[in-house]
Amino acid sequence: MKDFFKTSSFKVLAIVVVVLLGLIIYTATAGGSLLANMLGFVTSPMQSVSTMATGSVTEFVDLDALSRDELRTMVESLTQENAQLREKLVDYDNTLQENQQLKVQLKITEEAPENTLRAATVIGRDPNDVFYGFSIDQGTLAGVEVGDPVITQQGLVGIVSQAYATTSKVTNILSEDVKVSAVVPARGESGVISSDVTSASAGLLRLSYLASDTQVQPGDIVTTSGAGSTYPKDIIIGQVQSVQKAENDISYYAVVKPYEDLNDVEDTFVIIDFPGAGDGEELFTQEDPDGKEDAE
Amino acid sequence: MIGDVNKLVRYLAYTLEILVLFMVQETPGLLPAIGGARPVLLFPAVVTIAMFEAEVPALGFGVLGGLLCDFGFSGMLGFHALVLGLLCFFISLSVRVYFQSNLATAILTGVWSIGLTVVAQWFFLYFFQYSHPAYAFTHHYLPKYGYTLLFVPLVYLLNRGLSQALRPQEDSRL
Repeated sequence: MKDFFKTSSFKVLAIVVVVLLGLIIYTATAGGSLLANMLGFVTSPMQSVSTMATGSVTEFVDLDALSRDELRTMVESLTQENAQLREKLVDYDNTLQENQQLKVQLKITEEAPENTLRAATVIGRDPNDVFYGFSIDQGTLAGVEVGDPVITQQGLVGIVSQAYATTSKVTNILSEDVKVSAVVPARGESGVISSDVTSASAGLLRLSYLASDTQVQPGDIVTTSGAGSTYPKDIIIGQVQSVQKAENDISYYAVVKPYEDLNDVEDTFVIIDFPGAGDGEELFTQEDPDGKEDAE
Repeated sequence: MIGDVNKLVRYLAYTLEILVLFMVQETPGLLPAIGGARPVLLFPAVVTIAMFEAEVPALGFGVLGGLLCDFGFSGMLGFHALVLGLLCFFISLSVRVYFQSNLATAILTGVWSIGLTVVAQWFFLYFFQYSHPAYAFTHHYLPKYGYTLLFVPLVYLLNRGLSQALRPQEDSRL
């Protein structure tokens, strides 16, 4: 045993341990590193190809597994939905036209704020992440930065927590690290969307800090409020499932079910710029676990 | 000279194996989730490689596998690299000094070393930062540990095959 400490193997081990400890401290404090970028360059093309191949096979198998009757039912249901949406589109067009005419009559002018989106595909989902974070195939070379919100057509899914040259890590909104200032537009009530490992396992979120006389009802839609300027306003988060009293105070909270299956996100959009971005305090922080001040 | 070439080819094969397993474990939908858990294939890979290699190469492959785990998990590099590097070093040392390398010892080594890694993950990366640590341990870390262990025999046999095929005859007899 005494001789072991004199061997060249032990010296190599000691050097490696010191270097790795330095790396831990460096990346924990400075964030991204050259090494992480290099690993991204090596692994992201392979991951993209593998994800595409898996997606194609899964899609083929999924459709192939459906029976003739199931396919017929699916087509009928989609046809019905399509007809309903067409009717709604006509209503929408009429409302839009009316709205524009009223604006002209009332001389209301406003800028048309638009979010700048970058399409991204999910190429990795790490089994070690208990909050279902994922990697996307766009990085700083595509304009993606840490703190950019990530959405799908169904609504908000996360926030970019690490941006490398060609890939980025996205922290899921199911993570305890993420707090989102949210509002229930139908009731005009606001709160903070958060989650923990128990609700994340069920794919649910929690809208906290609702007043004791809250009017929020199951079925109400929850969207981002835009407060804090981390997320753009009016991004859909989910639908209220139930309203319950908080365990520790007199406030209430709503259990929110996201429209998107947050454990199985495939195609996303990164909002790389939006009107008012970064004007206020950020909510993606661990120093302010409640996030209540920002929300209000 | 031939021994050096064999060694180089073997190391390249291990590196390729680690990269492919990383890709497989990270690809969404490729390995089905059981109870919400998915396996970490790199753990059995580096642990079983360490059973066939000397301490310093074992340390190197442990660090490589660990860095990929770190990269997949978050931006903070080094934690898994340190844990797996140290484990692989001592596994290699213990296999050379104390016991033989066979399927039974591989499974036994996998049970304690992967268990240690998963507990270290939970303690250092979850316990101090998030709520409900007991729930996370029983509902996420334990299922992941069990699922990962299922791959130990398979990866061991793969690495034994690689090691035997890409090693000079006189070394294989040792």
